[in-house]
Amino acid sequence: MQILFRTFVASLLCLPAVTLVAQRWARARAVASGVFVLALLAGAAAAGLGFWCGAAVSLDFSAVSPFPFALSLDRLSAFFLLLICVVAAPVTLFSATYVERHYQGARRAWLWVLLPLFLGSMVLVVTASTAFAFLFGWELMTLFSAGLIVVDGDSEQRRHDLFIYLLMMHAGAAAVVAAFLLFLPGAPGLGFAAMRAAGAAMPPAMRSALFILAFVGFGAKAGLIPLHLWLPRAHPMAPSPVSALMSGVMIKTAVYGFVRLTFDFLGGGPAWWGYLVLAAGAVSGVLGVLYAIAEHDLKRLLAYHSVENIGIIYLGLGAGLLFLAHGAPVWATLALMAALLHTLNHALFKALLFLGAGAIGHSAHTLDIEELGGLQTRMPVTGAAFLIACCSIVGLPLFNGFVSEWLTFRSFLGGATLANLPSAIVLPLMAGILALIGGLAAACFAKVYGVAFLGRPRSSEAEHATEVPLAMRASMEVLALCCVTIGVAPAFVLSPLAATINGFVRGAAMPEEALSLARVIPWIAVVVVLLALAATLMRRAARLTPTWACGLPGLDSRMQYTSTAFSKPLRKVFSQVYKEDRTVEVAPTDAPYFPVSISYRSVRTTSYERALYRPVMDAIVAGAYRLRRLQTGNIQVYLLYIFLALVALLVGMRFV
Amino acid sequence: MTTALSVLQVVLLIAVAPLVRGTIARLKAVIQNRRGASVWRPYADLVKLFRKEDVVPTSASPIFRMAPRVVFAATAAAVLFVPVLQGSTFFSMAGDFILLVYLLALARFFLVLGAMDGGSSFGGMGASREALVSTLAEAPLLLGVTAVAIVARDMSLSGIAHWTLAQDPTRISAVHALAFAALALVAIAETGRIPVDNPTTHLELTMIHEAMVLEYSGPSLAWIEWANSVKLTLVLALLVALFAPWGMMMSLSVPGIVLAVGAFVLKLAVLALTIAVVESSIAKLRMYLVPDFLGVASALAILAVVFTAVMR
Repeated sequence: MQILFRTFVASLLCLPAVTLVAQRWARARAVASGVFVLALLAGAAAAGLGFWCGAAVSLDFSAVSPFPFALSLDRLSAFFLLLICVVAAPVTLFSATYVERHYQGARRAWLWVLLPLFLGSMVLVVTASTAFAFLFGWELMTLFSAGLIVVDGDSEQRRHDLFIYLLMMHAGAAAVVAAFLLFLPGAPGLGFAAMRAAGAAMPPAMRSALFILAFVGFGAKAGLIPLHLWLPRAHPMAPSPVSALMSGVMIKTAVYGFVRLTFDFLGGGPAWWGYLVLAAGAVSGVLGVLYAIAEHDLKRLLAYHSVENIGIIYLGLGAGLLFLAHGAPVWATLALMAALLHTLNHALFKALLFLGAGAIGHSAHTLDIEELGGLQTRMPVTGAAFLIACCSIVGLPLFNGFVSEWLTFRSFLGGATLANLPSAIVLPLMAGILALIGGLAAACFAKVYGVAFLGRPRSSEAEHATEVPLAMRASMEVLALCCVTIGVAPAFVLSPLAATINGFVRGAAMPEEALSLARVIPWIAVVVVLLALAATLMRRAARLTPTWACGLPGLDSRMQYTSTAFSKPLRKVFSQVYKEDRTVEVAPTDAPYFPVSISYRSVRTTSYERALYRPVMDAIVAGAYRLRRLQTGNIQVYLLYIFLALVALLVGMRFV
Repeated sequence: MTTALSVLQVVLLIAVAPLVRGTIARLKAVIQNRRGASVWRPYADLVKLFRKEDVVPTSASPIFRMAPRVVFAATAAAVLFVPVLQGSTFFSMAGDFILLVYLLALARFFLVLGAMDGGSSFGGMGASREALVSTLAEAPLLLGVTAVAIVARDMSLSGIAHWTLAQDPTRISAVHALAFAALALVAIAETGRIPVDNPTTHLELTMIHEAMVLEYSGPSLAWIEWANSVKLTLVLALLVALFAPWGMMMSLSVPGIVLAVGAFVLKLAVLALTIAVVESSIAKLRMYLVPDFLGVASALAILAVVFTAVMR
């Protein structure tokens, strides 16, 4: 265990150099990516030992670092390390072929150097056991991911979006730093053990301030609405495997940070913390999926679904906080299990979906689903894996998403047993919100899979798409297998998850409910699969004919329902959310009944920028202008400032 | 023996499902002063379809033929959770109704995919409308059952049925009234009956379910139609189990079984008659009024959950 973890850390440190040196020769690149995958598997093994057997490891670098810098692997860290490694290993395997085909020269070298660095920074975040190590990793994670986005091209729009990404990440990081520093008055140092001890003894106002800072800081990274602005911009810009890592893994580190701070260090708080987190989760969940439905660029759509799933995770976390506030630790365990399991599940199926998007882009050269269609017959393996991912993200039974969503539902229903009245009503009502999110997600992914993979191809690119190479297929198959395994037999993750939560929530115990689901769901799987198989074996001969075209010749693939048409009823019903700007231009204008051409444009605007960000930006800029008056350019005035500052400091020191 | 009976009630429900549909059609015919087909007609249709060949569009993927089988399998699996003749079910657990709702969602997801695979605009049209209706129906369905479950202090369907069996039938609570109203509206939407969808229409402006299955034929169509009947019967049986389980077997005995079967058939007949009367007297809603219809259901369900606070 100790050796495995050390090997993993050491190999992650060496990998950037190894991949850089290997850039010269194609075979060396293949070997280097193989070593990369092996290193990640070693990490997964170490994390698995930590997660399942509860073996803890620590590594202290404080002797060689100017700040206390240590890593340790308790169960919670091991769970997140496992998540990172299990997702990153197939993604790396996918990249080995994908990057080779799509990038040359310096860009390829940059990708291969930045990829292990990016992963290393995420590993640092989840295994750090001092504030300095955590924040160091947190900053590097932002910078390396930005670097990976830059590799994929440069344009005015991209630079603007990247700037928004960096700006919001740094604003979030500032809040996180402030949250960590708030521990200082009570803690002797910024080691996690000291902070945990200080958290319990803090005055309530300070705890609440700390909670708000953590909520905002980690919420920005997680992509909670309205802090999600960067997410649908940054994720689609990156190369597909990097998007898979950003959406699947990177935003999960925010969940880790939030759980670590609010549950582990602070041990929960008053009920309004729970309500706040629940509200943020509900808003992100519903709006995220509604925005996703309106998209037809596959990667933007998937990015919005990350917002939705983060919402579901935060719903679980909020329920956990509420249960803790009302003294129901077993229900809190269930809610936290739901949130953590959904974190893992989302990492698996979202990485798979982004890899699928990469495979589609690789074969059909477009990610606009309006141009796709009929890919299932052309790319059967990719299609099957993508379908499994769709079923998982929708939360259909027999797939992993269902297990975590069921646990979330169950914990909401458990809220009815609370003695506290508002909570006993609000929590069961949240089940309705979750059901709405599930229904909307089902509609959205029926659209994605139905338009992109079924029916007839809508462009010649889609018509001539072929299956992707072996390594890419294999990586998607591995992730799909993980989704199905957790979906059918969840017991093997549920018990260690309860033990994990037991490590930091006082009074936690394995809830009976989780076990009963694990007992029933394999049998349901057997019933459904056997019945479907029996029905399939009974099939009689099939005759192939063209689709019926109402008796007319020549059914055009353009006559199929498009993605926009499919989502139209839902967009109409939820039109308040979208604020569509529609322009219809009829030419020539003087003969409205005999138009030569009609052009129709519908732009969906989200008003966050206008209503929320613009005023804040304006206020900051106005404040900066006002501050500029201090800057007179007169040296005597500056000397006066220095003198006044000195006096203020001396006076301050006198009274402290 | 109880286990054997739980298996029996599943088989029974799946077997009588086409009969329920035939009965509704016959009752509608009588109300509308027609003679109508025999109540056994759906069975004859199924046998006929199972004997035919599948006609598959050239462009379709394997999903097209897989979908009807998955739809049937998932719907049949959902039946495992519904108390029919006795309060106990095969896989009873707290929160099993969530699994039931999501098994129906699994069936619907594949039905929608099968419709999209046909490659005509009809399939997409039906799929898109089905997506709208089912999206909005899911929340009131879950909340309605939740409200009843909270009152019964038991989160499993069999537990709710057992609790209700022990209650006095003449004393209904506000929560039950609200939840029943919500679930009745949802049941209409879920099973595609008037005023949400017209199961007998062949006019593309109005059809939802029929548009989705337009490309299907032979055994594939048979599986879908059978699954559809099972779903209708399942939803009706769910209403019975939640709100009027009286007559269900309390302890095992031969007269008990006879009484339970008789009570179940009687209750289904009453519901079938209600559907027939409603379908004969109300016009189908415009597509964009369906969200309002389900909005009412959602509001009722939310109220039902809120009112559980009064029952504490």
